[in-house]
Amino acid sequence: MVEQDWGSVQFVAEQFRRYYALNVSSVEAPSEIRQREFGFLSFEDRGMFRHKGFDDAQHLRHYLVDYAPSHTYYSSAYYEAPEAAMEFKGWQGADLVFDIDADHFSIPCQEDHDRWRCRTCGEEGTGHPPESCPGCGKAAFIEENWLCPQCLEAAKYEAQKLLDILIQDFGFTPSRELTVNFSGNRGYHVHVRSASVKKLNQLARREIVDYIMGTGINAEFQGFNQGLRGGRYISLQEGWRGRSVRALYDFIADASPEVVEDLGLGKAAARKLLKNRETILGLLMERRPRNVVKYVDLKSIGMLMEVAVQEQAAAIDTVVTTDIHRLIRLPNTLHGKSGWLTQEVPIDDLADYDPLSSAVAFTGGTLNIHIKRAPEIFIAGETYGPFEDERTELPMAHAMFLLCRKAAKVAS
Amino acid sequence: MISEREAAKYPFLSEAARLVDMLDLTLDDLAEPVHAKVLDRAEGRVSEAILKGKASANLGDSLTELLSFPVANMFITALGERFLDRRYALSEAVRAYELLNDESEARVAKMARTEFQWDLRLVRELLDGRLYRFELHFNDFLGNAAAFREPKWKLVNRLMRDGYVLLTNPETTRLLQEEIRRRIGGLISKHRGLRLPEPLQARVDRLGRTFEENRSSITGGDLPTDVLVEGFPPCMRYAFEGLMAGRRAGHMERFALTSFLINAGMDIDEIVKLFVSVTDFDEQFTRYQIEHIAGLRGGRTRYTPPSCSTLRTHGVCHNPDSLCKRVKHPLSYYRIKIQDIRGKQEDKPAE
Ligand code: SF4
Ligand SMILES: [Zn+2]
Ligand SMILES: [Zn+2]
Repeated sequence: MVEQDWGSVQFVAEQFRRYYALNVSSVEAPSEIRQREFGFLSFEDRGMFRHKGFDDAQHLRHYLVDYAPSHTYYSSAYYEAPEAAMEFKGWQGADLVFDIDADHFSIPCQEDHDRWRCRTCGEEGTGHPPESCPGCGKAAFIEENWLCPQCLEAAKYEAQKLLDILIQDFGFTPSRELTVNFSGNRGYHVHVRSASVKKLNQLARREIVDYIMGTGINAEFQGFNQGLRGGRYISLQEGWRGRSVRALYDFIADASPEVVEDLGLGKAAARKLLKNRETILGLLMERRPRNVVKYVDLKSIGMLMEVAVQEQAAAIDTVVTTDIHRLIRLPNTLHGKSGWLTQEVPIDDLADYDPLSSAVAFTGGTLNIHIKRAPEIFIAGETYGPFEDERTELPMAHAMFLLCRKAAKVAS
Repeated sequence: MISEREAAKYPFLSEAARLVDMLDLTLDDLAEPVHAKVLDRAEGRVSEAILKGKASANLGDSLTELLSFPVANMFITALGERFLDRRYALSEAVRAYELLNDESEARVAKMARTEFQWDLRLVRELLDGRLYRFELHFNDFLGNAAAFREPKWKLVNRLMRDGYVLLTNPETTRLLQEEIRRRIGGLISKHRGLRLPEPLQARVDRLGRTFEENRSSITGGDLPTDVLVEGFPPCMRYAFEGLMAGRRAGHMERFALTSFLINAGMDIDEIVKLFVSVTDFDEQFTRYQIEHIAGLRGGRTRYTPPSCSTLRTHGVCHNPDSLCKRVKHPLSYYRIKIQDIRGKQEDKPAE
């Protein structure tokens, strides 16, 4: 090909090689490294190279220096023989892993920086692609996903909600059993490493996912049951008991008549809810959920709760957590779609953590690039763009990010 | 050491097994007329499992009650019916559950902790009119409750704090029943098809006949109306009949059969019922897998069965017939065959 490809793969690969040559000592072996499977993607785009095992950090580092992969993963699972084919690996257990990715939720900024294009008719739009193309009805799209400080904040917020649930409800000890990694792109990974979770099967992991997301929550078991009397019910704030009441309070307090009508409660129930809004809020505030049933029937409360808990639940990727053979990014390795690091964040520092300054691997100097198209890029306190088919000189961090996203090429 | 009466109540406990070991009885000893009572009771336990799905507790003669348990396990092993294994384990577990419901909290806690290593604490909290007596670590809770389907067993609907789930007394014994069921399942799943000395084998044969007579009523033998088994290709018929007979199938065969049944139009609930009734897969996990294959979960792809050539590779193709020569896929076989059958029915002259 005469014209160099978008993304300047050779150049980026060389930068990755240099990075690992200088910084590989920061890569640590995951716990019980001999029981872990590793997987890599290379810049030559030959698919995942997996079923790889290492004896210690030294061998792993040599590998990274020699091959400078574009993406580096290891298994959340522990195997007797990590290098064997799947059916002969001998599964011994797995960490409990959660993946939070801003791509999975809808946030306003995505309308500004994400685009889609129909593969069939070429129709274009912003934000997430629609279910089917308004132009031709097909559902195959080319997506262009970017990120910005808002997406990253939104992802961090979900990670914090998740950590709260894991610490308060599940009783995991931060740092010792729980670690948080910035994914190197649009999200966070939370790892639970403890003897109590290692052997959990997929079914049990699915129950944990349902718990975190509030799936299958039933008002009857959250205190909204008139039939049961006696004992403490007023002050109960732990777990979903407290969270569901708070969620319902926030939802009912904010809901406009239109929103209430859209829930499908039925006209009478919706009217009753709106008419008694203040009383109901009072009862929730005093934590007397049982008495709310006088104003709204249990079924309607259930429908309200299902919607309301979304705000309190954490938006995790359900597939990742239930997959007990999952490969996940290794901390302090490079992410080939951003040129940033997957990075462990001490839980106490999470609130102040800013990936856009901490996780940037390529800094120093500038680079001349030709940009196809890109929204505003904000990294390490500096904003450039938006760009539309132009040549420009950018700081290394911004240039590498655009190259990794294949939205630019090195200008000759 | 555990008392003889305790051992008779809960003969699956390791201490009860030790007591039995100390008596040092051989198979030939058991065949002696003095032990006829033990054999009678063992046979009784198995037939209770077959006929009622629940064993009774005869604590009047502790030693007989205790000794009959390992003998009944031996009968089940000798019978070698996978479906019966499961039914028997459940029957014995329900027996234990009912006895446990009359025990003190302390006794329940002791069994859970020492026998099954549960991380369980005693508490006393009255909430919403329910008296909670135990706190169980979520890990042990999920190990047993994750298979239950009622909303009240979902973790999200439980009171959990700091990793511990609050439980009432009957809830705790219900979870223990599950644990006990697995324990008993483990006791009988080894040494299949064992041959016993004559007086014992005669009883096994009699139990075998009782099981055969009741097989269809307890294995949910009635087939869905809209799926025509006569239309199944040989491979799927083999897999299906194997499943009904409790033969252990490989992953490929199970996947092929499940996806075949889904694509042939069998209702998911019916497939789940079928699988659960004849195997010892737990219901929720089976449902999860079947729904996954049906495309109701995860990737949302509905799977079709593998082609004949793939099935051949994996040894799932059995006794191909003449129609097989004309098709490359078990579903095409089914479609052609069904039309043939329906056609013939329509050809029949009206009465
Ligand atoms: S040829 Fe195909 S349809 Fe026939 S038995 Fe073999 S696998 Fe089944
Ligand atoms: Zn289109
Ligand atoms: Zn954004």
